[in-house]
Amino acid sequence: MKFFSQSFLYDDNWPIVSLAYFLRYPNPYASHVLSCDVISREQTPTGTLLTTRLILKRGNLPRWFPKQFVSRAESWLVEESEVDPYGKIVKCRTRNLDNVKVMRVEELVEFRQTEESKTLQHTEVRITSGFGWGLTKRIETYGITKFKQNIQRSREGVHLILGLIRQSRLQPMAIGHGPFPGLPHHTPTSDCSKEAHKESQAASLSASTTGAWSRVRNWFYPQRS
Amino acid sequence: MASSLSPECTPLKTQYDACFNSWFEGYLEPAVAASSTKNRQEYSKRKAEEEYKACVQKAVKDSGLESTLQQARDEHPLKSPPPPDPSSLEQGKKH
Repeated sequence: MKFFSQSFLYDDNWPIVSLAYFLRYPNPYASHVLSCDVISREQTPTGTLLTTRLILKRGNLPRWFPKQFVSRAESWLVEESEVDPYGKIVKCRTRNLDNVKVMRVEELVEFRQTEESKTLQHTEVRITSGFGWGLTKRIETYGITKFKQNIQRSREGVHLILGLIRQSRLQPMAIGHGPFPGLPHHTPTSDCSKEAHKESQAASLSASTTGAWSRVRNWFYPQRS
Repeated sequence: MASSLSPECTPLKTQYDACFNSWFEGYLEPAVAASSTKNRQEYSKRKAEEEYKACVQKAVKDSGLESTLQQARDEHPLKSPPPPDPSSLEQGKKH
């Protein structure tokens, strides 16, 4: 088993960093995320929000890895999170569901508000391979090295989303649709009303292609538009 | 927002995400959020959630992932995290 941990301090306060973290897919630094679904979401009696998401990511196998053992370089992940808005804590744990014998990756991320109203992110990862054949250590080392490379990219993704949220709060009505559906801040909820549902269901795809966020995305991924 | 695992659920997910995001933004700042708008959002969020959930549940079933997912979720990870390596934990606290 290989272990790695790292802490990082955001200058922004906890609510905005936590929001950015949950809105982070898609972003240009996470093009390997193919899908992301909420499997369950509930609030506990104390007000904590528990969410389970199912995520499909595209990975790449190292050249030296015997290809016959892994059918495809895609991986299902389950992400379980706990948001406590009163204690200002987010806890999030992600694990892969397939190829766990080859490599089991378990990531724990925490966001806490500091006394200076900044946000401290603490990340821990455990990588375990049960592969054998003299490759166990090599696989674990590869996993940790990849993780260290990716942690920087994922942080850049969160920073990008943070910037977009800040921007949408500064000019809430100017663009009509903010970078994220449902945001900007405290606008009327016509998007969510039952009456608007059918209409917006049909329009949601076309509306999202003209939103600021989609413009950013299309700029990064012109082939996807 | 990111796509759903099943293309037919993506429009429902977009709708649900829109409702959830506006609710969630207020939820993260309980002191600031006005309770009246919060309640209204809560209601519509539930409607969108039901439709999206039904679609995803079917998609998960069709993909054959259901039992693996259930097994993973039964471990209740956040309530009983695996004992961390004490030496590495200390390192973490020092940043």
